Amino acid sequence: MFPRAARGLAHLLAGLVIGPASFVWAVVTTLATGLLSFTYLGPPVFLVVTWVSRRIARVERWRAGWVLRRPIGDPYGPLTGRNPWTRGRAVIREPGTWRDLAWLLAGFPVGLVTGVAGVVAGLVWLGTVLAPLWLWAVPNPRLYPVADWLFNTVGGRFTLAAAGLAAAWPVWWLVAALSRVQASVAARLLEAGPRARLRQQVSALRATRLRVVDAQAAELQRIERDLHDGAQARIVAAGMTLALADRKLRASGSAEDPVRADVVSARRQLDEALAELRRLVRGIYPPILTDRGLVAALTALAGDAPSSVVVDAPELGDLPAAVESAAYFVVAEALANAVKHAGADECVITLRRTDGVLTLAVRDDGRGGADPSGSGLDGLRRRVEALDGTMEVTSPPGGPTTVLAEFPCAS
Amino acid sequence: MRIVIAEDLLLLRDGLVRMLTDTGHTVVAAVDNAPDLERAVLEHRPDLSIVDVRLPPGFRDEGLRAALSVRERDPKAPILILSQYVERTYATELLADGNGAIGYLLKDRVTALDEFLDALERVAAGGTAMDPEVIRQLFARNTRDQRVAALTAREREVLALVAQGLSNSAICAELVLAPPSVEKHISNILTKLDLPPADNTHRRVRAVLAYLNQ
Repeated sequence: MFPRAARGLAHLLAGLVIGPASFVWAVVTTLATGLLSFTYLGPPVFLVVTWVSRRIARVERWRAGWVLRRPIGDPYGPLTGRNPWTRGRAVIREPGTWRDLAWLLAGFPVGLVTGVAGVVAGLVWLGTVLAPLWLWAVPNPRLYPVADWLFNTVGGRFTLAAAGLAAAWPVWWLVAALSRVQASVAARLLEAGPRARLRQQVSALRATRLRVVDAQAAELQRIERDLHDGAQARIVAAGMTLALADRKLRASGSAEDPVRADVVSARRQLDEALAELRRLVRGIYPPILTDRGLVAALTALAGDAPSSVVVDAPELGDLPAAVESAAYFVVAEALANAVKHAGADECVITLRRTDGVLTLAVRDDGRGGADPSGSGLDGLRRRVEALDGTMEVTSPPGGPTTVLAEFPCAS
Repeated sequence: MRIVIAEDLLLLRDGLVRMLTDTGHTVVAAVDNAPDLERAVLEHRPDLSIVDVRLPPGFRDEGLRAALSVRERDPKAPILILSQYVERTYATELLADGNGAIGYLLKDRVTALDEFLDALERVAAGGTAMDPEVIRQLFARNTRDQRVAALTAREREVLALVAQGLSNSAICAELVLAPPSVEKHISNILTKLDLPPADNTHRRVRAVLAYLNQ
């Protein structure tokens, strides 16, 4: 119990200093920013003040955590924006900013009450325990008889010390409790509130989901390569062996042997298995996407289409595999629909990458009237949404049909 | 023939070597990556190089790129690209220089030994061997072409075989037709597609592929 009380006493003493200082800081700066808010100096001054206040709040978090024996994290969301106005707005919208201010103001009275009570209790207790050591040095001429006996005789002084020792436990507990009260109020205000906690959970969930989707795309790419290097290669090799066997059978004059018919049909079956595997692989992860990336793959897709398709795309840089494959399949589906249902003569595929967002538009000049909730498009929308993207299909009767997809892709 | 092979999978490399050796050819070099292929072709000047599209170091399309760079240095070097998948884009790039002596086949075709050996001979002799799958893709994109639509079913069959690079006699054997009727079909096709008449097989194939690729 004693170490906890010592820790609490140190905490309360520090609070008596920091409390008033931060209170003065909060009042003065709030008034100053309030006055300056009507001038162009407002935002920068506000940002500097907030920066300092957050540093003070961080010290307070550490102090409270030191007493409560658990780390207290920052509640702030990420601060984005380039100019002081947008950053200032983000700071104003951040609930943590106001909770900090609340503590800077409330910390003073709370710290004063708990601090004074705790420090007085601690000092009085220390005084009684050490009475035999110091009371002889301090003359006390006018005291009640009881107090006179207590203060001015050796026996009395030792009685005081004994009483102090007897009261040690409750007093220590009181000091530690007062310091915990102060720290709890601080933690309650300075920790992430419900909104900030939700925000942190959402961003954590978003990050893990993206990791899952990325891992899945990488996995599909790996499956494509493994099929290519494993199963497909083995089947081709088996086919070669059969072809050579067939050749030997013919050379040895057993061209009419029924065994040869079996060898030939086994070879045909292997060919069918290979064709099947190729279709499967193309559906999993188109090889050209692995070979050359999104723009080249889309250009190839455009070239294979029976109608005229223009690809308008600059160099996009590296994209996550999940985004590349989703974008590819969106275009493939949109082109197939344009040809099959809309009877389009011309399609334009536009790709742009700005501020960490990949925008993909497929526009055709067909009949329109596409059902955006059709199964193909709907499956693709889910795929795009899993990447935190959006997909919209606008297809008025008479056309034109536009499929617009956006994918976040941090560069 | 003297042949160089570039294939990264040991199983297939050995299979190809065995198959070519069994059929009387000589494999002068069998390598497993793109830089070695370029070196081997420059060193041995083979009658034919058989190259996989995907090769180390990157396992993307290094084999194809190495083949194209070999052709830049030696425009007549016969090259047969073997792949697990066909991409029309790759076929177009291979045919771009118009020098012939180019093949692009699926690895599956290796198992149809006689046709495969024919394709080897054709490419080595300066002709073309295009996979039926490539031709199928080319036809698919020409579905709305009026002139292709004007062809009869028989003419389409012949056109597909011409595009693959087969000679007249090979087409006769494939479709079980007499030479005069094949010649007649071919001249009809060239007329319907507004292509110049050509006796030379390679020129004819080039014209047809260029037409389908436009």
